[in-house]
Amino acid sequence: MAKWGMVIDLDKCTGCQACTTACAMENNRLPGENWQDVLFYHEGTYPNVKLMWFPRPCMHCENPSCVSVCPTKATYKDPDGGFVLMDYNKCIGCKYCQVACPYGVRFYVDEKAVVQPDIRGVFPSETDRQWDPPYKGPQDDPSRGIGIQPHGVVSKCTFCYHKVSKAPKGVADLDEDIPELKEYVPACVRVCAPKARFFGDLDQPNSNVNKMIADKRGVRLKDETGNKPQVYYLSGGATASVPSLRSMSDSDKG
Amino acid sequence: MTSITISNKEIAGKQLGIMLLALIGLGIAGGIAVNNLMAEGHAVYNTNNLGLFWGFPIVVYDYFLLTSTGLAMVASMALIFGGEDYRPIIRRALWLALAGLIGGVAVLMMELGHPLRALWAIPFSFAFSSPLYWKVMAVSFYVLSLLILQLRMLKADWRMQDLRINAMVTLVLALGVTAIAGVVYGSQSFRPFWASGDIPVAFIFESLLGGLAFVFFFTYLAYAFNPAAVPESVKRLFNDRLANLLALAIFIHLLFVLARMSSGLYGNAEGLQVWQTLATSPLFFAEILIGLLLPLVLLMYPGTRTRPWAQIMASLLVMNALLISRYEYIIGGQLVPLFKGSWAPELLSYVPSPTEWLLLLVAIFLSNAVNAFGEVTLRLGREG
Repeated sequence: MAKWGMVIDLDKCTGCQACTTACAMENNRLPGENWQDVLFYHEGTYPNVKLMWFPRPCMHCENPSCVSVCPTKATYKDPDGGFVLMDYNKCIGCKYCQVACPYGVRFYVDEKAVVQPDIRGVFPSETDRQWDPPYKGPQDDPSRGIGIQPHGVVSKCTFCYHKVSKAPKGVADLDEDIPELKEYVPACVRVCAPKARFFGDLDQPNSNVNKMIADKRGVRLKDETGNKPQVYYLSGGATASVPSLRSMSDSDKG
Repeated sequence: MTSITISNKEIAGKQLGIMLLALIGLGIAGGIAVNNLMAEGHAVYNTNNLGLFWGFPIVVYDYFLLTSTGLAMVASMALIFGGEDYRPIIRRALWLALAGLIGGVAVLMMELGHPLRALWAIPFSFAFSSPLYWKVMAVSFYVLSLLILQLRMLKADWRMQDLRINAMVTLVLALGVTAIAGVVYGSQSFRPFWASGDIPVAFIFESLLGGLAFVFFFTYLAYAFNPAAVPESVKRLFNDRLANLLALAIFIHLLFVLARMSSGLYGNAEGLQVWQTLATSPLFFAEILIGLLLPLVLLMYPGTRTRPWAQIMASLLVMNALLISRYEYIIGGQLVPLFKGSWAPELLSYVPSPTEWLLLLVAIFLSNAVNAFGEVTLRLGREG
């Protein structure tokens, strides 16, 4: 069984947000409620300012704290692929998973709209879903958190389960440059123009992702929490691997 | 005896009045809150995905839950260790525990995304790794134990020694619910504002403090704040023992708060910077100086400690201080945004929305209505 993982090369990321847009289109996300986002951080004061960007999907942790705290087992670790998924039919909207996720990558969208005007009013849904956009992805699997988010539940990135799970068995890497595999590549990886994202099987020693992690000393975000993310960052020492708002503000004050 | 009997009748009339007022208040506050929720859903709450996931409704729920377990702890410990001196407060404390819990759970139901689904999805999930699963299961058995204890005390001639086993079960469950409530927050290691192994213990002392304060306040309320109507046995208990216990509980809680503050101010972990803001806020000073230190003085000073007004005021101030404390703890632990970049502020700002305030009123009115119903129908002052 595969253990899918992602490698993000921070030295190549240009902060173009193509991944964010592709994810939003693929998964019918509400504006501003981005499962995948590229965060911007800055350090220093004018004129010595450094701007950094930081792509941040769900980490699909090996030992996810969101899964262990869920009181209904609505969020679970899929043993076949290592995806962390949501079962919308079991979620009660208690938001404990949001509280317990160190990476802030879970979304409860029944609150005030992040982007105004509230597009839910423009494309209202007549079902239990948040909205009824003019374009909808053909996939809809509430038991895996795929499809338009219903009311009263928490949602999250699925690593594009609906694509990746259909990949040929035994394939080591899902590379958008290989024509016969590109349909199985997660949306954010497929559209990455500077090719900063890579997706593959972490359980296959010869996979490209494993080689990159080894060769470029891939790091995992907030490893001290014990969550063991399946998303690795390559920074080459040029970019802070774990940005901190506090350090930003301290240097600003300086 | 005759004058007390007449007073009791008058007091029953006043309790009916309290119940009526509480029901009217519940109708208005609950009606507006439900109407707002039906119209706008959870957009009426001021929580968001930047990091503030649990807002004022969770504060209210936890406050009432922990007060309930504190009342149950006081009553069950009185049954197990206390002896006959504590008899006048036991049934009232147990009923109040139930009333408070009903108020808190009602608010939780209005906060959850799928409250009805929660009723079956949690018990049948067998999610043993989740503190919330254990909390819900413990609360279910806790309610059952409260009801059994209350039922067994319906007869006027109930004897303490017959109820000790029941009381022990209730005490264990009350301690369990409170400790698990602490684990829910204390286990979040990446939130240093919350995380600590001693949080469950702090919660237990906080609960006990709330339980004692509520016993004082609601016993006086049962006699319509008329000290002349309060039975001698109750006065004796309050003046001899409970005032000291309340003062001790305030002192211990104060130590926990100040210890957390000191560690927070000197600590450098991401998240602890909340203390820099919190410790300079007027709300924090109000909590410490007016909500805890003033009651402590009132209960320690020989000239005031046995005065009913001082005991009422001390308990009321403590009840408020505990609500502030719960608010600061739950909200404070979420003020640092999680991986949201430079667009997010250094610290999130949060004030409860009007509907969230209404939910506090819903809990207060509902609990008071249930409590007054018990005072009238169960004659909770019978043992005095």
